Formats: sequence, structure tokens, C-alpha cells
Amino acid sequence: MAFRGRGRGRGGFGGGGFRAAKQEPFELYPELEDLGTAEYSNRNLQLIKWYSNLQKYWNSSPYYYEGGSERTRNVQKPDVERLSDKDLQVANSKPPLWHFIKLDIDHIPAELARGEKKEKRGIKRVRWNQESDLHKLDLFEKLEQKHQGEEGKENKENEDQEEDDEKNEEEAEEEFSDEGDYEQNEYFDDDEDDYNMGDDNDDEPFF
Amino acid sequence: MGDFCREYTQISLKASEASTPIRHKTQGREAAVVYFSYSSAHKRSASKLLGYPLRSATKPKEEKPPLVHSSYSSAHKARREELWFTVGAQHIPFGASPQPAMVSQYGIKLAAYLISSSYGDFCSKVCECLLSRGTLTLAQIIRFTELSRENVINCLRVLIHQNCVQAFSIQQEVAFGEAPKIVTQYMALFDNTIHKMRFPKFMQIVLEELGKDCLGIFEGLLQHGRLSLNQIIDRNMQTPDNSDVHAVRESFSRLLNARFVERCPAPEPFLAPPEEETPAKKRGTKSAKIAEAPKTIEQRALATASPMESIRFLMEIDTLRGTSEEKGMESHDIATLEEKWKQDFSDAELSSSGKKKEILWRVNFEEFVRRLRHKACIEYVRIRLSDQAGIVLSAILELTRSSETRLKTDKSASMSINDIYDEVIKKDGGLGMDLERVRASLVQLGCQIPTTGIDETYSIDLKNIIELAQNEEVESVVLKRYGREAYRIFRLLSKSGRLLETDKISDTTFVEKKDTLKILYKLWKDGYLHMEKVSVNGPKQTLFLLWEVDKESLWVRVLDEMYHAALNLRLRITYEQDQEKEILQLPTEKLVGELEKRYKRLRKVRIILESSLMNLDDALMLFHDF
Repeated sequence: MAFRGRGRGRGGFGGGGFRAAKQEPFELYPELEDLGTAEYSNRNLQLIKWYSNLQKYWNSSPYYYEGGSERTRNVQKPDVERLSDKDLQVANSKPPLWHFIKLDIDHIPAELARGEKKEKRGIKRVRWNQESDLHKLDLFEKLEQKHQGEEGKENKENEDQEEDDEKNEEEAEEEFSDEGDYEQNEYFDDDEDDYNMGDDNDDEPFF
Repeated sequence: MGDFCREYTQISLKASEASTPIRHKTQGREAAVVYFSYSSAHKRSASKLLGYPLRSATKPKEEKPPLVHSSYSSAHKARREELWFTVGAQHIPFGASPQPAMVSQYGIKLAAYLISSSYGDFCSKVCECLLSRGTLTLAQIIRFTELSRENVINCLRVLIHQNCVQAFSIQQEVAFGEAPKIVTQYMALFDNTIHKMRFPKFMQIVLEELGKDCLGIFEGLLQHGRLSLNQIIDRNMQTPDNSDVHAVRESFSRLLNARFVERCPAPEPFLAPPEEETPAKKRGTKSAKIAEAPKTIEQRALATASPMESIRFLMEIDTLRGTSEEKGMESHDIATLEEKWKQDFSDAELSSSGKKKEILWRVNFEEFVRRLRHKACIEYVRIRLSDQAGIVLSAILELTRSSETRLKTDKSASMSINDIYDEVIKKDGGLGMDLERVRASLVQLGCQIPTTGIDETYSIDLKNIIELAQNEEVESVVLKRYGREAYRIFRLLSKSGRLLETDKISDTTFVEKKDTLKILYKLWKDGYLHMEKVSVNGPKQTLFLLWEVDKESLWVRVLDEMYHAALNLRLRITYEQDQEKEILQLPTEKLVGELEKRYKRLRKVRIILESSLMNLDDALMLFHDF
């Protein structure tokens, strides 16, 4: 396909030679000169805000699928691990998909469904709201500051510890569930094996 | 993000270069010219981005400011590519009659972009594969997308959960002697994918009609795609302003009664192979067959999957208990309610394995599109005819809304004049109207007053209103792009609906003959007109050129251009946000001086672009969904 006469400076088009068309530099996003004024009402602002909230939620949720095999890669260990990194990781890790999507055969097609043993291992607390944890931590912090000199301080500390414990436990459980030995069979992908592409024998007896 | 956008633009550039015929080569040298002149100036930006001018929302009788030219980089000028559609794995060139299920080129790109910005690149690849290649099995998807099996499975799980893909199983034809195989196929739901752009509009409808509590539940359904009642209640506990179980169930049943929420379709319905019809049956159903085109496998799958009308909006299977439950809700105290809540779980449908399964609920897109369609009709009538006609129409539509079975109903149901009058009085501005005024508005809307007067019922032709609105939209595009004379010519051709000869056109529209020819050629070249050459063998051989507007194919082309414009707007918005992402991360106190200027500029740009996108979305719905 001859691209003569196309004035686009894409790729290795550099070389000279007289061309019929003027070569323009290829700008993907040229500057908008005159945008004009917009008459917008508050309704529009609200719609825009809602849309961007939805987008943010989806991007931070497990629905934003980044590839199962990359999970271990995502955990980037910095050169020098710091204690504060631990909190960072907890805040950023996403709950697994099966917290939200029911993977049993009643709700999705048979070949996509997964067995029930995973679910039974306990959705201890499904995190619908990513901020609810931080919310509670903030709340406890504030309460702690208020009751500093009082006897109530001990109770709050206990609750804090409980909260931390719960978080740690959940975190430990998640880490455990993410990298434990029980996982290995689940993600052992037999189908990558070229010799055993057996996926059409679902309903027939296998002799 | 830049690479991603580059990839898209390069795809479209390649498409333009690969498919433009010889006569289009001259365009490479033209400076791109974009016309824009609007009284509502916020549409300028959208038109600049694509050369697709948008119709102003105000009356066309207003004086328009003079046209302004602006040169623009070739990346964004209106593309002259040939449109193509895909069916299965074939490419069908534009011009073959498009079937209703097919999606145009930029529609696919827009859908893929919406998925990728929300759910990631893997999901987007799967979705694009399904849209461009049609319905596929899992093995085929893995092969075409070249992703690993695990990734494809997870992507399909997400897409099904978010209502963008529907699965069904069919019996595959096998060679003689083998047992029939049952395979699962997946089809992409294009409409639902594009609806993601409109979620804020749906949320607004819910807020206006039902209030903030219902909006909270509704937002959860939008975020997650599908939720069971228990999950909804669970989720509500974790929001800052959580309410008790009773209130949540109450809000949920209000949503259900308003039909904003429906049961999810069956995850994997089995389609029985179509049987041969006996001749006797054929004769009997002849009239029915004429009305209905044979259903494609996708349509059959959707029909089989959707829950029956009777249970679609039903919360509990046990109807007797259901009605008394909902009525007597206030009298129960919380303890019994929680017990019933647990029982609800056990009351749910029996699953295939005999255990109880939970019902999943999702947003009922059909209802929202219906409401937006009504809104568009009312708005159009209000602007074109009169405020009063608008009020009367909105009264009628509200009364007949619950009886509309299909989405694109042609006529509203018949209503008696007294019912209409009662409803009109309830509306704002309708109080001062009397029966005569109502009758006058009905005449304006196209009804005929029955002479007998005994049984005075009226129904409004909605299809007509939509068609008029579509015509106006396209005519305004022609006006903005090609000028006033072209507008006259196009209007003449579109109103006459048949082939007209060049001279006749020139005489009727008072345009010079040579100008007429030039304009007609331009319109034809861009696909707005259809041309036929007729040669007459008389004393001398003369060649007549006949022109007409082919509405069906033109509508498809216009829709595709709109998808393209929407895609560009979204890309641009994302780009602008990316550019300034460091500023967005700073807290507002630190924004001073230069940073503040940038922030303000970003905000202004964003609002203008997003508002334009929302208006463009109205036009999109007008051509696709209404």
C-alpha cells in the first residue's frame, strides 16, 4: 500500500524528497484553541461527578481485571522494606473476585463456575466500601484522643487492638489465601498443556 | 494511555487509507474545515473535535451567529472511511443491507473503550472480540484473543456479572452417528455496554422519582452489575449512613415497583434446535410470520434467558405471602422481619441441583430507556408545538407507561379524554387548562377528534415524533456542514421520499443548476444521497441523474459518526485529566497561582467536554434506542 501524498509524520517517514502534500507533524491531541463558554447547570455537574465516582469505583474494584497470573508480580517489593509499607499494601490490595461474583453454577454458566470450597472458607467480611475500614480506624483514633486521660482509654485501646487484630487476621487470611498451598491446585492450569486439551468431553463419558 | 489512544487513531487512519478510493486522495491536501455555529456554545468543542456538528437545543428559528472556519489537524477531521460491518468473521462492505443486530465499526470501538476504562484491558479484548466476531464459544475466544484460559474465564465472569455478555447453550450439529454435543456460546450485549455512558442519567431519574435512599441501593446495583437482596443489605450496613434492614427492604421494593430493577436473566438457557413447522401450522400463522422476521439465534437466546413477565418484578415466589408482606410491612417489628429475611433466602427458587438459590437483581435498562424516550418526545413536542401540547403528552405518557410492553412502541395506548384531563390538571402548568384546550393540543399532536363523541379516546403516534426528531437532527448536520442551499436540497429530497432529477431539484429549490450539481455530488460522495443514472434513448441520448435520500443507510452512517464523536470526546477527556493528574492529587489549599490557573482550566475544559458528551448521548439514543 503506497502512502504517497499522505502528510503524516508517523514512524520513520523522516527522509526528504519532494512530496505533493505538505507534511504536517502528527499530533494526536492538538490544542483546543477556542473552547467557547459553556452554559451548564448544576445538574450537569452532578452527572459528571457521579460518572467519575463510578469510574473510580470500578477502577479500584476487583472488576478491573488485571490478570490472575500477575498477582504475584503486582506485589512489588521495594528495595528496603519499611514497616509503613505493610499498611500501604493492605490499603491497596483488592478483594478477590469471588467476594462479589457468585461463582456457583446457578448464577454463571457451567464452564465458568468454580466449586464451592472456596466460598466456604469464609467471606469473613466482604468489603463493599473500600473506605469503611479507614473510616473505622479514623473513628477509633478520634475516640482515643478524646478519652486520653480516662479509664475509657484502656477499653478503646483494647478495641483498637481488636480492630487491628481483626485486620491483621483478615490480612493474614488474605495473604494466606493468596499464597497458601491450598491455592496451588486451583490455579494449576491443566489446559495450558498442549497434549491434554480436553474441554469438549463435558457431557460424554470419557473412555 | 497515550499509546492506547494512538493505537485507536492509527487503526482509524489505517482504515481510512486502506479503504478510500482514488477520488478521496485529494482530501489529504485539504485543510480540515469544521463548521460550527451554535447559540448554545458548549457544543462547539464537540464539533471541533470531530467535524460532527451538534444540533442546538434551542429553536432553530433563532438567528445563528455567522459560520467560523477553523483548521484542524488531520487526526480529527471527519473521516471518509468506508463503513463496514461484521457478521461472524466476514466483513460486509457498507451498502449491503444492515441487519438490526449488527454493530458498526465505531460502535465497537466505543464499547471496547468503555469496557477498558472501567474493567481493564483484558475484559476489553474479550468484549471487542465478541462484538466484532459475533457469538463464540470459550475455546474460540481463547484462540482469537490469545489470552490465557484463566484470564478469559475471569473476564467472562466479570462481563457476565456486569451484564455485558450473555451465555447460552445450544446443541451443536454433529456428524451422523455421534451423540449431539452441547456447547456454551457467549454473545456480547452491545446496548448494555453503551448504557454505561448513561448511568448518571439513570441515577438522576431514580433520585428525582424515589429519593436518596433508593439512590444508594441503585448505585450499588450500577457498580456491581448484579446483587442479591442479602448482598444489598450487607452493603448498606457498610455505608456511612446505614439504615436498618426494614428500611432497605422498603427502598428495594419501591425500586421494584417502579420497575427500575428486575430479575437477572438465566445464566445459561438451553435453546432447543428449531423444529420444522408443519404446513398446517404455517397457514395458520401466516400473518404472524409476515409481521415477524425470523429470529436470529441471539434474539432467541435473549428471549429464552429473560425471566417471565410475571416474576420479573416479583420479590418473593410465594405471591400470597408476598402481597400481604409488602402491605403489612410497617406493622411487623424488626425481629420478625429478620426472620422473614432468612426465610426469603430459603423461599428463593429451587436451583437445578435441588438446593435453594438466591435471586440476583439488576438494573432494568429497558425502563430507563423508555423514560428517556418519553422525555425526548415531550421535549420535542414542547419546542416544536407548544408548552401545552408538551404537558398533555407528558400526561398521556405517564398514564400509559405501565402498559407499554415493548420498548419501541409505535403508538401509545388509547386513553379517554377524561383520564387525560384528570392527569393534565395534576401537572405543573396544567391547572389552567380546560377540556377544549386539551382537545386542541391533541389535535396539534396529530390526533383526530372523533365525531361521535361517545367514546372519546386518543392515542399518540410516538414513532412519528421520533422520526421527525431524527430528520431534524440530520438536516441540521447537513446545514452545518454543507450550507443553507444544501440544506434546502436535502430537505426536499428527504420529504419527497423518491428519486428526483437534477433539474427538478434545481427548479424547486431555486438553486442555480451548476451549484445544485456540485452540492449533489458532494452529498453523494459523503454518503448522504443515493444516485441513479438513467439514460434515455430519444432523438439524442441524454443522461439523467436521479437522486434520493436513503434513510436507512444514512441513519446508520450518522449513528456511526456519532459513536466516533463520542469516542473522541471520551479520549480527550481522559487525556486532559491525565495531563493534569499531579494537580488533581494536590489538596485544594495548595492550589495557588499557576497551579490554580491550570486547575481552573482543567475544570472548565472538563465540564464543557462532558456536557457536550451528554448532549451527544441524547442524540445517540435518538438514533439507536428510541
